[in-house]
Amino acid sequence: MPKSKRYHRQTAQRTQKINQPALNQRIDLFTGLVDRSLKLLYNRSMLGIAWTLIKPLMQLIVFAIVFGSILEGGIPRYASFIFSGLIAWTWFQTSLTESAGSIVQNDVLIRQPGFPVAILPIVTVTTGLIHFLFSFPILILFLIIDGARLTPVLLLLPIILTIQAALITSFAYVLAAINVAFRDTQHTLNVLLQMLFYLSGIFYEVDSISEPYRTIVVLNPMVHIINAYRAVFIEGVQPDWMALGAIALLSAALLPIGYAIFQHQSFRFVEDL
Amino acid sequence: MSEVLIVEGLGKRFRRYHTYRPRTFMQVALSGLKKMQPLDSFWALREVSFAVLPGEVLGVLGRNGSGKSTLLRLIGGVGRAEEGKIWVNGRIGALLDMGAGFHNDLTGRENLNVSGLIAGLSKQQVREKFDTIVEFAEIEDFIDSPMRTYSSGMRMRLAFSIAIHNDPDLLLVDEHLSVGDIGFQTKCMNRIEAMRAGGCAIVLISQSPDQIETVCDRAILLNQGKIVAHDLPAKVAARYRDSQN
Repeated sequence: MPKSKRYHRQTAQRTQKINQPALNQRIDLFTGLVDRSLKLLYNRSMLGIAWTLIKPLMQLIVFAIVFGSILEGGIPRYASFIFSGLIAWTWFQTSLTESAGSIVQNDVLIRQPGFPVAILPIVTVTTGLIHFLFSFPILILFLIIDGARLTPVLLLLPIILTIQAALITSFAYVLAAINVAFRDTQHTLNVLLQMLFYLSGIFYEVDSISEPYRTIVVLNPMVHIINAYRAVFIEGVQPDWMALGAIALLSAALLPIGYAIFQHQSFRFVEDL
Repeated sequence: MSEVLIVEGLGKRFRRYHTYRPRTFMQVALSGLKKMQPLDSFWALREVSFAVLPGEVLGVLGRNGSGKSTLLRLIGGVGRAEEGKIWVNGRIGALLDMGAGFHNDLTGRENLNVSGLIAGLSKQQVREKFDTIVEFAEIEDFIDSPMRTYSSGMRMRLAFSIAIHNDPDLLLVDEHLSVGDIGFQTKCMNRIEAMRAGGCAIVLISQSPDQIETVCDRAILLNQGKIVAHDLPAKVAARYRDSQN
């Protein structure tokens, strides 16, 4: 084992100085891939977009009926409360599940000379983001029905979106890399995400949990992301910058590590076959 | 000199793993992490050095398992070498794993657009070459039909057509170049010849000494990952035939 480590350190360099694919080619490739996954997701129709929104709406109805009657005191503007949590969660969940398979399922692209493998999770996260944005009109509809006032703090949305995107991307890289070694990562991940879903305060308020459980639940970064969306959408106040800042730092630390593991594993993957 | 490709002291080591290496969390739980460790390793390539000039066709001859495909992959930036260096001056085109990467639910047009980008073209370049690629692939009438309606021959022709229209400076060619009928094959060979005349360097890997002799300007013979001959194609081919007998 020590022997193989030594070899790794003297990893060969590969230089491609002249005619390095221009940045705008990378951008074209990126938009092309996002465009393709949107086409596949929506079947090229407006109805396709509506269709994909049926699932969160159904979930909303279930939660509203089941929990709306059980929870004591009740949460004001409950429909907006659940829906904002659900769509933010959906972005997190679908992007992670899909990214986990991105090295293994795109083996053809990975064997393509010069293909920037690291683009794949970013494409998945971006597709999820666009899907998330498409559900905003419905959220706004709920907000209006619930009598929430839309205030200028909504201008802070891009910051929250960026932090969530960074968080998802850094996890996505790590998961895709793990999935190369352990092919059941996606299944295991689904179980974990299912658990996390119930611990993310999507249909209840995290503040209503009693200690010591509350301390554990607030370690889940999605709790704070979802709270931030609710702050700007429903309450019209500034989000909790401390919590968001912590998540931004976490992502900033995790992203380069995840990226490095991802690159290493994508090389290993093509060699192992 | 303005070599398109320089390979210097290239070495690639593969690890061998246990036959029952766990591939899932469940298997790890059942059999432990011990079998995750590599058993031993071997060099698939060692001390391989050569250079290719613009417009030159280099043949790489060798038996199965001699390291040809590994060499081609490394040049294409797929996988990482343990030793040595590879310089590539310009864009790489590859006639290797073709035809996959197409999506059945998208039309030929949509697939072509994305595959062109994947092959390294910009949006603008894909637009400019679109008609040429379609015409070359002989699928004009089907370009707006979904890919699932395509025959395997049509897919291969489209994939091939995209692969050779990305204006590479270095083209990597696998021996399995049999795409479509004789007419299409001839067209492909003519197209590759035209690219070569235009200054594109070609690296061709093959198990056939006859192919190397007819197509290449220069050839190397690989045996167990090492270069055992580097000479004119006729001499290298003769050496290969001797070693086979």
